[in-house]
Amino acid sequence: MKNLVRFIIQHHFLILFLLIESFSLFLLFSANPYQKIRFYNASHKVSGRASLKMENIRDYLSLHSENRKLAEENADLYNQLSSTYKIFQAGSAFPGDSASAGRYSFLTAKVINNTVNKQYNYITIDRGGKSGILPEMAVISSEGVVGVVKSVSENYASVLSLLNRNFTISAKIKKNGYFGPLSWNGNNTAYATLVDIPHHVVFEKGDTVVTSGFGGVFPEGFMVGIIEDSRLKGGNYFEIKVRLSSDFRKLSYLHVIKNEGKPEIDSLENVVVQ
Amino acid sequence: MIKVILTYLLQFVVIILAQLLVFNNIEFSGFINPYIYVLFVLLLPFDTPKLVLLMSAFFIGLSIDLYMGTPGVHSTATVFMAFSRPMVLALFSPREGYQKGTLPRLIQFGPEWFVKYTVMLVLLHHIVLFYLEVFTFHQFFSTFLRVLLSSILTATIIILSQFFIFRK
Repeated sequence: MKNLVRFIIQHHFLILFLLIESFSLFLLFSANPYQKIRFYNASHKVSGRASLKMENIRDYLSLHSENRKLAEENADLYNQLSSTYKIFQAGSAFPGDSASAGRYSFLTAKVINNTVNKQYNYITIDRGGKSGILPEMAVISSEGVVGVVKSVSENYASVLSLLNRNFTISAKIKKNGYFGPLSWNGNNTAYATLVDIPHHVVFEKGDTVVTSGFGGVFPEGFMVGIIEDSRLKGGNYFEIKVRLSSDFRKLSYLHVIKNEGKPEIDSLENVVVQ
Repeated sequence: MIKVILTYLLQFVVIILAQLLVFNNIEFSGFINPYIYVLFVLLLPFDTPKLVLLMSAFFIGLSIDLYMGTPGVHSTATVFMAFSRPMVLALFSPREGYQKGTLPRLIQFGPEWFVKYTVMLVLLHHIVLFYLEVFTFHQFFSTFLRVLLSSILTATIIILSQFFIFRK
């Protein structure tokens, strides 16, 4: 007993260090899936408010370019209107059917916190459960794909950015429709990698890559980026370097997309699997 | 004594605010960013009780974590750095040791000592921080480059700040 006490006194610095450090590491590990979301919701309530204040200041400074962008965006939206909202109407034999009410709905949200310098980046937006935002909704900017909603609190939501190594979407080459998974490799914020394109497919530098619409999260045909470079991997498949069309350092206003058909698609696919 | 504690509490708050409001927004090519909040641990007196040293490092790391949504990453790195501090101090100790009543400041021990002391501890902090954040040794050298570049930036800012804060 006496020896034990002496040992503790002699090495108290090391023991204290190990105690505090293991508590830190415990925080780190326990903050994975479920707890992480709980932790985010709590801390986002505080940091969300602080970020909002800072973002307000930043907004004044970028009003000019923002206005121009909004005007361009409005024009874009008018163009998209007929094509996005009438997907079901075109093929429907019963005009006035509830399915023709529109398949995707858009919600505008503002970025209040955004990181690009980590390997696992997240974006915080100023809309949450109160505005009808749910996890798994797609998020785009006027320039292209941005991410997917990950967790939602009352007034804020956390978005898994495309610049996150856990993020993958199904994308296709617009010209010929060949599709594959697209993800970020963690190096450069301007590029992502599209893989699994068979070696016989013909494409060129500068071709457009868009979302494929598979998975039901993103609508089909939204801009992802343009092809910058490619190489054959293992002789059979291309690995394509895609220059992303959204500039993640300048994100300000985003659109959250709700797919009204997703519950139906999911339940249908579940039945097939069973 | 109370005056000293209050001074360091004020320093704690000011350094956190500086990190969150100013230095978190500095990114060169999304690759390098300075974490100057470690300055707080660097400036603590030589005879700080061990428990206070480790706990203050833990809390400043946790504060940064809470804001940035990365529980445990910064606190683990900062506690590790605080743990290494006595050893680094012993390593760079001047011939006659650290006199009573002196503080680890640039103006008291000269630029050479302060640069060695800062670079060593910042490097230790950044190594733990960046590898914990990535949590893999995959692409080891790309992460190591980030560690080196960010350490240089952090240490430079810390050393420059000393000329402005503590003047003779």
